[in-house]
Amino acid sequence: MAKEECKALLDALNRVTACYRHMVLSVGGTADSQNLREELKQTRQKAHDLAVANRNKLTAALKDKNVSKEDKAEFERLWVIFSTCLEILETDMKRALELGLEFPLNVPKKHLIQTGMSGGTAGVAARAMSVQNMKYEAERNIDEVDLKDLEQEIHKVGEMMYEMEMKVNVPQWTVEAKQDPGAELKSTTSAGASSGGFVSIEERKGFCDISKLLAAIVFSAVLILAVILAVCVVKLS
Amino acid sequence: MTINALHQGGSYKVQMPCLSKMERVIVGMQDPDMGVKMRNQRLLITVIPHAMTGSDIVEWLIQKFSISEEESLHLGNLIVKHGYIYPLKDPQCLVLRADDSPYRFQTPYFWMSTKWPAAELDYAIYLAKKNIRKQGDLIEHEKDYYNQLHKKINHTWDFVVMQAREQLRAAKQRRKGDRIVIECQEQAYWLVNRPPTKNMDFYKREIEYCKKAMGRTRVKSSICLEAYLKFNDQYMPHDPIMSGCLPSNPWITDDTDYWSMNAPTVTTPTKLRVERWAFNFGELLGDPLGHIQFMEFLKKEFSAENLSFWEACEDLRYGEQSKIAESVDSVYQQFLAPGATRWVNIDSKTMEKTLEGIRRPHRYVMDDAQMHIYMLMKKDSYPRFLKSDMYKTLLAEAVIPPETKKRVFPFMRKQRHSSPSPALLLPSEQDPKGEDKNKALASAAGGGEG
Repeated sequence: MAKEECKALLDALNRVTACYRHMVLSVGGTADSQNLREELKQTRQKAHDLAVANRNKLTAALKDKNVSKEDKAEFERLWVIFSTCLEILETDMKRALELGLEFPLNVPKKHLIQTGMSGGTAGVAARAMSVQNMKYEAERNIDEVDLKDLEQEIHKVGEMMYEMEMKVNVPQWTVEAKQDPGAELKSTTSAGASSGGFVSIEERKGFCDISKLLAAIVFSAVLILAVILAVCVVKLS
Repeated sequence: MTINALHQGGSYKVQMPCLSKMERVIVGMQDPDMGVKMRNQRLLITVIPHAMTGSDIVEWLIQKFSISEEESLHLGNLIVKHGYIYPLKDPQCLVLRADDSPYRFQTPYFWMSTKWPAAELDYAIYLAKKNIRKQGDLIEHEKDYYNQLHKKINHTWDFVVMQAREQLRAAKQRRKGDRIVIECQEQAYWLVNRPPTKNMDFYKREIEYCKKAMGRTRVKSSICLEAYLKFNDQYMPHDPIMSGCLPSNPWITDDTDYWSMNAPTVTTPTKLRVERWAFNFGELLGDPLGHIQFMEFLKKEFSAENLSFWEACEDLRYGEQSKIAESVDSVYQQFLAPGATRWVNIDSKTMEKTLEGIRRPHRYVMDDAQMHIYMLMKKDSYPRFLKSDMYKTLLAEAVIPPETKKRVFPFMRKQRHSSPSPALLLPSEQDPKGEDKNKALASAAGGGEG
């Protein structure tokens, strides 16, 4: 079904955008390194591919005349989500460019800001690229070499957004969100791998309830047993 | 306290200079030898590096810039208020304390910048994340903002929720220590950009802003559009592009008569030009020829000193800074002193004010007097000038240039050619070789013409 495919693609793009933002946070700080810059490059390329795929699918769906009204509304909603995602991606790319220019890695005199971060971002990058481990294949001065590519890609994304606005006529204000305020608290699915750490809230809440129920049952069972034993003792003696 | 971005519109934004300076200070603090002393922050299980005490920061500032402790504290406070350093113990209170309270540097992504003002969408994502982490337990003002944003950007609210969830999942891929640092960083960033309390300063600024907004001159669009239409009606016959120009447009026919006939000083002005003098006083004074004619008229009326005074004031306003004192003095002696040769008639109030200002002469000291004389001329002499015989004869004698005849036979028409590049015709002072070269090029260009 076109809707499911679109949703899946959009989820993937969303995931990559979140990871990209997370990595751009570390640029200029002590967690910055050539590896980080390479991760940024690879994530960015993946984001670009996903964005193009999304755009093609969604434009095809929106142009299709045989689509029912609800489906059309759904596709428009997905379109708005997609364009917002692209906006955020573009902002992050621009910031990455600026930060990359301000904090070149191979210049000995420029010190990185001591932000308190000591670990690497390999896990985040692996999540973005949907691989188990990241492979680093670039040269030593990728931070400078990459900046030109980054500039070009920013232009490309800008053009893509402009084209999208011009060609597809989806008024943003007519789309209504499906989620109410506070919807994120009722998280149902947790797609994607989530390594250790804390469990999602709902599951935790569920566990609490179940454990409370179990405790109550056990307590009442023990109470009943005690009462039966007492009655037996009284009867037998 | 935060500084709002200078202007929101426009795609090219420049960093405010004070922010660039603060960034340089921060980068200076990072030097492993000369920078601020770093310690480790110990939480229950995790140890996070790169913490500093307030007193270390103050001391470093004193040493680096050779300033007093008071100034260093003030500077440090500014840096903290703008979010470049954030406190670890009491994050709501953005103050630099010169004791052992811990602080940490903010990551460059979250630095305050006029190029990247904090966006509503990002704030919404942050609040959604906080909502998930704290299971709905947001602070009062955050709850207000949350509901507000839900209404404002309702169309992308689904995206906000999706992105918030994904960002939390991405953060799980990092170490516990890094996760804590990232949370603190984000919290500090939003405390700076969306301050919780609207304190006295905030309301004072709002009052100032509203006062200024009310003081702006406003014109109803119906009125200003009328004036606009009138202006266009009046000036359209005079516009060379809209109504064609006589004799002919030099850019098309290569005939420069139009420019030579409308030169600033010419014996017989064109009719259109003389008509323009009747539009308003500014046109008359602005046109050099009109200016001279008006002066002649005033001489006949024995009020030429007004215009001379006005001219002298203009010289003062736009003249050299070094000559201002003597300029003011000469104007005073000629026009304002009691018993001066060309005394101008200014009302007593303005005269008093001007005389006071002359004691400390500057460029604009004659402004009030100049404006008074200007209005006098405009209301009194100018209408009389327009009704005078002098103006009428000028109008009658004015020339309407004939249109250049378009020659019938194509080879008789003046050929169009691009003028030679000025670079080729530059006089060469250096060497005779250059001269020959220039001559050769000039002749080549000349050969290409016609």
